[in-house]
Amino acid sequence: MSSPTPLPAVTPATRDYSAFDAELTGAALNMKLLRRLMRWMKPYRITFAASAVLILIMSALQVLMPIVISLVVIDGLFLGHQSERPDFGMQEFHAWMTSLTGLPPLLAACAIYALLQLGWAFTGHWHRMTLITSVINGLRDLRLDLFRHLETRPFSFYDRVAVGRVMTRVTNDIEALYELLRGVGTLVGEFVPFFVALTVMLAMSVELTLMLLLALPIMGGVTWLFRRATSQLFRLVRMTLSALNQNMHENLAGLQVVQLSVREEHNLERYDRINRENRDHEMRSARLETLYGAFTDSMAHIAIGVVIWYGGGEVIQSQLSIGEMILFTQFIGMLFNPIVVLGEQTNILFRAMASGERIFQALDWDEKIHEPQNPVTLPARLQGEIEFRNVHFAYHNIPVLKGISLTVRPGEKLAIVGPTGSGKSTLIRLLSRFYDFEDGIIFLDGVDLNHIHTRDLRRRIGVVLQDFHIFSGTIYENIALGSPDITRERAEAAARTVNVHGFISALPKGYDTPLSERGQNLSQGQRQLLAFARVLAADPEILILDEATASIDTETELLIQDALRKLTAGRTSILIAHRLQTIQEANRILVIEDGYVKELGNRQELLGSDGLYATLYRLQFQETAAE
Amino acid sequence: MKVLETLRHIGPFVRPYRLRLAGGIGAFGLSRVFEALVPFLLAMGINRLSEGNHDLLLPVAGIFGAVVCRYIVVTYARYSVRKVGQFAAYDLRRALYAALQKQGIHFFNNHSIGDMMTRAVADIGLIQRFIAMGTILIIILIYAPLVGFSFMLYLSPELTLLLIPPLPFVFMYAQRSAREMGITSEAMQERLSDLGTHVQENLSGIRTIQAMAQEDHEIKRFANTNQKYADAFYDQARVNSLMTSWMPTLAAICTIMILGYGGSLVMNGEMKVGYFVAFFMYVNMIVQPFRVAGFIINLFQRAGVASRRLREVLDLKPEIEDTGIESQTAPIRGEIEIRDLHFRYSNDRHMVLNGIDLKIEAGSIIAIMGKVGSGKSTLLRQLARLLDPEPGHVFIDGRDIREYPLAVLRAQVALVPQDPFLFGEPIHDNLTYDDPVRQVDAIWSAAEAADLTETINSFPERLKTLVGERGVTLSGGQKQRATLARGLIREAPVLLLDDCFSSVDTETEEHILDSLTRLRKDQTTLLVSHRVSTARHADRIVVLDDGRIVESGTHAELLRAGGWYAELERIQREGADAADYEGLVTA
Repeated sequence: MSSPTPLPAVTPATRDYSAFDAELTGAALNMKLLRRLMRWMKPYRITFAASAVLILIMSALQVLMPIVISLVVIDGLFLGHQSERPDFGMQEFHAWMTSLTGLPPLLAACAIYALLQLGWAFTGHWHRMTLITSVINGLRDLRLDLFRHLETRPFSFYDRVAVGRVMTRVTNDIEALYELLRGVGTLVGEFVPFFVALTVMLAMSVELTLMLLLALPIMGGVTWLFRRATSQLFRLVRMTLSALNQNMHENLAGLQVVQLSVREEHNLERYDRINRENRDHEMRSARLETLYGAFTDSMAHIAIGVVIWYGGGEVIQSQLSIGEMILFTQFIGMLFNPIVVLGEQTNILFRAMASGERIFQALDWDEKIHEPQNPVTLPARLQGEIEFRNVHFAYHNIPVLKGISLTVRPGEKLAIVGPTGSGKSTLIRLLSRFYDFEDGIIFLDGVDLNHIHTRDLRRRIGVVLQDFHIFSGTIYENIALGSPDITRERAEAAARTVNVHGFISALPKGYDTPLSERGQNLSQGQRQLLAFARVLAADPEILILDEATASIDTETELLIQDALRKLTAGRTSILIAHRLQTIQEANRILVIEDGYVKELGNRQELLGSDGLYATLYRLQFQETAAE
Repeated sequence: MKVLETLRHIGPFVRPYRLRLAGGIGAFGLSRVFEALVPFLLAMGINRLSEGNHDLLLPVAGIFGAVVCRYIVVTYARYSVRKVGQFAAYDLRRALYAALQKQGIHFFNNHSIGDMMTRAVADIGLIQRFIAMGTILIIILIYAPLVGFSFMLYLSPELTLLLIPPLPFVFMYAQRSAREMGITSEAMQERLSDLGTHVQENLSGIRTIQAMAQEDHEIKRFANTNQKYADAFYDQARVNSLMTSWMPTLAAICTIMILGYGGSLVMNGEMKVGYFVAFFMYVNMIVQPFRVAGFIINLFQRAGVASRRLREVLDLKPEIEDTGIESQTAPIRGEIEIRDLHFRYSNDRHMVLNGIDLKIEAGSIIAIMGKVGSGKSTLLRQLARLLDPEPGHVFIDGRDIREYPLAVLRAQVALVPQDPFLFGEPIHDNLTYDDPVRQVDAIWSAAEAADLTETINSFPERLKTLVGERGVTLSGGQKQRATLARGLIREAPVLLLDDCFSSVDTETEEHILDSLTRLRKDQTTLLVSHRVSTARHADRIVVLDDGRIVESGTHAELLRAGGWYAELERIQREGADAADYEGLVTA
């Protein structure tokens, strides 16, 4: 029907998987990364722009309030001095307000102040909300895109990368970006008023302004020194703290062993050692933190001293009015806040940069299963004939399958046996196209597997993996797995067939019983049966089973065998078998060793030929294979 | 009164450091005075300037002096309260650890490890932070009125009195916002943890999802979780932003009053310009801590709950009381007698052991069999006093086991539990867990007996191989054999094996049982098993059903008797129908 087409093979060896396992490290400011991040903000650019306009208004209002006090009230009303310095029209506005309302000048000033304050509150709130809305939406989209991308990476990716690390991309790394953008928001909220205030100050007295600005490099320097001195300490604090938690957790998890080994004293001693170490590191960092914290708030007080000392001198020389000098004292907060906030935010910034890099690295990870350009449409129901023709496969450049050829007849039950690492699991995984293979063809009812879309293919092949994965949700949801075709009745019918209905209906909530994340409320055998029910409900034409090894408890074993018999009835089935019973039920047995087909035939034939199967059989391989 | 109750709970944690704490709080008061001097001196400078007095030395030098003094005092104060918090946390952790170590099966049936970890991490953290930051409440409640208002009253009593009425509202608003922030940020944390759980669960099941072609469905499900988090984040941000806007705006009522009333005083010549300016700074100084007041109150309430939760654990009595009498410490021979033993778990009505009478001679091997839930594990746990039998029912060498000191008993009665738990430490340390200075020879011979030698040798670092999450992952069978070796190494007069071969194949099991019978020929061994192939080696087989002994005898005797054991033997030999088996093994 089709000719074999060579596929572009993925070359896993060239990929650096270790990147996914790297610890969080700081990285420098990376503009390319920020630009790329902005792409996700683009759909929300109008809200973003609105937020920028609002912060300008807010900053202006924030600067105007002290101007009203110092220039309008103190200079204008108390001292009768008309300021020549930029006042953003406040003095005129006040005059206009007074004549308009007929209020005493002082009350008019109060009214103006109240208006400014209310304006500041509103613009500030809406600035933050518009900013946050666009950030939330953008990052929500980014997170979903990342999840979508990771969800569709192939087995070969998940074989090498620890799930925990991939998970961190979607959770912690995106979270760090939230922190970053929140931090940037705060910084902007401090920096814009800073510059507005700075222009006013420069217009009043360049020398005094410069003198106050001198504090910034000093604070910056001290902040830098503080960060440098504490970063190592903070790391030690974090390390000892997590060691404490780990120690305690392990001690509780193994408490029975601890008690049975009479180790309580010893362990308490060990815990206490870490506990003391943690306390000492904490105290060392507390010393630095208190020294530093008191220093930054002293700077504002020193600045007041400087303003009286130098500004007072300028007042005496009539270069500065008293109101203007007071205005300086009121601007000190706006002048110093940004550097304090910056000090608080730098760590977050660096951490976020590293996170951003890792997010994009994950998004750029293009490892995937080759999909056909024009996929073949499969008939509504397949016969279920499978042919492997000279299939080769290498993993990490190590050949695993070295030319497998065989045909599985429709409805046949084929058991695969072989030592660990012989290529059994690989063979069935190729059939579901979890990996691309470089050489040979697999036919499904005569159609080259590579011409079928994986989604379509996987709906036709039911796979029961060794580990039955439980998703949080009810038993019914775990059987149906979101497929709308699988009604409650169908799920129940499947469960009944595989001998698990009795157990389910005995539960108080029956099929609506929620299964906990790790399925603690299920025994191994029940999990296996539920896995059968899940596959049976999907009613695939072909069944693949990687049988659980001996660690399954003996109790339900016969139930499982019975269920398996029903499950495989009338279905082409390929079973990686670990149990004698399963093998005895099979039509034929395939023995794989070292990537080659060693033996193939029914039981009698294989026992008669006295080959690997016969040897394994004698050794009761169903249990030696457990390891 | 809730506040007092909370203080009573937290009090004992702080008591050993009360002098330190008092010193810190006193220093905070002093630092407030120095801080309040700054506006006063500024006012003096302004007044002098406006009066044409050009002598600014006193105000300028005064400010610098006040700053230096404040720096010293405030550093001391902050460090002191931090220290008290830190030391209290240290004490609490140690006490909690010690208390939990004395708990057992009953306690952990009702409390999860996760719950205990939360108490150790979050609850202690809360108390520590409250001790270190709670002083802000004292600043607001005592020092602000005391220091701030004294200065202001001195400058202008009328204006000061006018400023008092708005303050309670500011305080109330701060408290209300903090509560809302607490609620919304908790909701946000919950959604975030939902999101983490979702991703974790999804990715660990990625193979199943792809095998069942469920990617699209899963992405849709995730979009939903993702949106919920975004919504929670928005709510939190909104509450936060509103507070950022309205806190200062409420406080501005005071500013406007100074501007209006204080301004008129200045214009009437009843107040100096400098004092007018100082008022703004004093109001700011008083209102500033209000911003965090709500959070501290919130923290106070949560620390109260946390301290109650900690007390719950700290006040627990040891689950197994050490009733031993130190006198006799000679090694035991291993003769066990159980007389009419009944037992039920505290939260369960059902009797697990229902009158067990059993006499075991020293040096024999006894197999215990029975359905799931028939009481096998419970019986073994009584012998090591993981569960406490009533006095007068369980005897070893003719002496009630409650009379042995716990440490003596457990050193000689070694139980290997069903769950093969290994610590995240090297294999060596796991095998010598009861006695870290054991000889290497002993380790290898125990490993050999448990058929673990080959496994250990297959690792490059051999005995130094780290196991668990940070090291190599052992298979179920390997773990079982390692825990078995950990039990065997002790050469205890009584060895209790609770279903330790379930993940070990029959061939290896044969090997282990061989060495077991050889090594322990003079010592008592009890083993629980589901396999006839295991039990047949025993001197005697005891079958339990619903907490009672229903069959007892040698392999041959029980086969002849034709009871449950004989039926199990037939099934395991022939492989019978599922239905037959089901009735036999499930209760």
